[in-house]
Amino acid sequence: MNTIITANNLFKKYGDLTAVDGISFEIQEGECFGFLGPNGAGKTSTIKMIHCVSPVTAGTLMVDGLPAHINNRVLKKKTGVIPQEITLDIDLTARENLMVFSRFFDIPRRVARERVAELLKFVELEAKRDSKINELSTGMKRRLLIARALLNEPRIIIADEPTTGLDPQARHLIWQRLRQLKRQGATLILTTQYMEEAQQLCDRIVIMHQGKILKEGAPSRLIEEEIGREVAEIRIAADQDEALIAQLGQFACGHERAGDTLFFYCRDGQSLWRKLNELDLPNTVHRPATLEDVFLKLTGRSLIE
Amino acid sequence: MNLSYRIGHVFYRNLMSYKRFVVPTFIASLIQPLFYLITFGIGMGAYVGKLGGMPYLNFLVPGVLISSVMLSSSFECLYGTFIKMIHEKLYDSLIATPVSAEDAIAGDIGWGTFRGLVSGTLMMAVAMAMGVFPSSVPSLLLSFVLMIFVGVLFGSLAMIVTSFAPNFDFFSYYTELILTPMLFFSGVFFPLDNFPAWMKTFAQFLPLTHAVEISRAVFSGVYKTGLISNFLVILVLEIIAFSIGVRRMTKRLIK
Repeated sequence: MNTIITANNLFKKYGDLTAVDGISFEIQEGECFGFLGPNGAGKTSTIKMIHCVSPVTAGTLMVDGLPAHINNRVLKKKTGVIPQEITLDIDLTARENLMVFSRFFDIPRRVARERVAELLKFVELEAKRDSKINELSTGMKRRLLIARALLNEPRIIIADEPTTGLDPQARHLIWQRLRQLKRQGATLILTTQYMEEAQQLCDRIVIMHQGKILKEGAPSRLIEEEIGREVAEIRIAADQDEALIAQLGQFACGHERAGDTLFFYCRDGQSLWRKLNELDLPNTVHRPATLEDVFLKLTGRSLIE
Repeated sequence: MNLSYRIGHVFYRNLMSYKRFVVPTFIASLIQPLFYLITFGIGMGAYVGKLGGMPYLNFLVPGVLISSVMLSSSFECLYGTFIKMIHEKLYDSLIATPVSAEDAIAGDIGWGTFRGLVSGTLMMAVAMAMGVFPSSVPSLLLSFVLMIFVGVLFGSLAMIVTSFAPNFDFFSYYTELILTPMLFFSGVFFPLDNFPAWMKTFAQFLPLTHAVEISRAVFSGVYKTGLISNFLVILVLEIIAFSIGVRRMTKRLIK
């Protein structure tokens, strides 16, 4: 596989605030690469530099062999952006939105007409082609944003929290479309706060926190390495910790106290679970480890605002 | 400055959205100047009688016409642009395409100019209906050229204001404290001749004064050489305002 994006010691500063603090990563052609992190981790700043709308403060960022730069129109032609905020043109209909946008990419009108019809079909919005934007539901608006991002047949598709605020049906439809695009050979770059989304879509992820990359790897491998396979959650007062850890610690590869809950992480939970049953504690949950466990372990459980 | 032919794409976008608002904007851009023409021209004209050897209405038309261009292009680049920038976040998606921030802003100034031209043309039609005509067909064509220059100038000046604006209310400072007073100090409603010397000098610093001078010549057919300097003032101011406006707005859009 070819490397399509390389960042080396990349910085983004807004005045005194350092949003991206010297990160390095590589994205391969045709993979889905995810940036995960809490609010303010620097995900959006990073991808804005990739699609050339925000200048690089320091470091190097190469996209498809070219340096990312605010005036790099060649790169902007190759990327499709699904923004976090709904930036549709509310004065225009769904179809007009796409037609006008295709003009920005110098797509000839005849080609644009065909492509717009195809894309409206792709995102299942044919019936809404002549609707005004404020007559569409949030899910429809998001789908239209996807169609808009695909007008220029981009090789690199950047999706910034593409399913925020959507109901499960709409979310699954968007995931399916994104996977379909990946199958067609596009490189997908995703930011998300939803761990399930990252697990569903991404081949590799980085977990970002306070402008730095904490971990990088395939979601399943990160879970395995950081947490294990299974998690036992015991809702119990903190003064019981010592006794419980003495009894259960030997069966687990790690434990953590957060709020009202004591977590045990383990590779094989059978013996732990047997022991837990013997103790007959109320309020216990035994479940597979998820990316969310990794995320919370790495970025901390306190609120980030 | 990273400008390209894509300015036209931005103009096209505005045109597409405009078709829904044509009627209300036609009405809006006609009402205020018409109001001036009717109240001042006919109402006050009855008392004033003749001014500079012509009926007051004839005195009033050239200034009111060019002021309507000023107001339309200004409002478009104040409120119109602000809505697109802050509320609709249109520029955010624009600059992710090969359209640069500079293209987007210049496209909007071009659009403001077009809106000014539309207002001016409507006023011209109204003036003609009231029996006030430019001195000749070339003069009429010249008035359109003037409208374009005035549109770019005030569109650009408005863009500078927009680049600073934290919210809508901020625009009142500009419209109430600068644009509206300018109407009274630029010789739109009465000649500057009777002003004290310092006020005459002050008026020379107002771009509208120079535009009104040229507009008067369009209707009177009396072209003095001084008009060249009026034109040069507009041109120079326009170049400065345009480059500052585009730069400042680009800075606001790209972070």
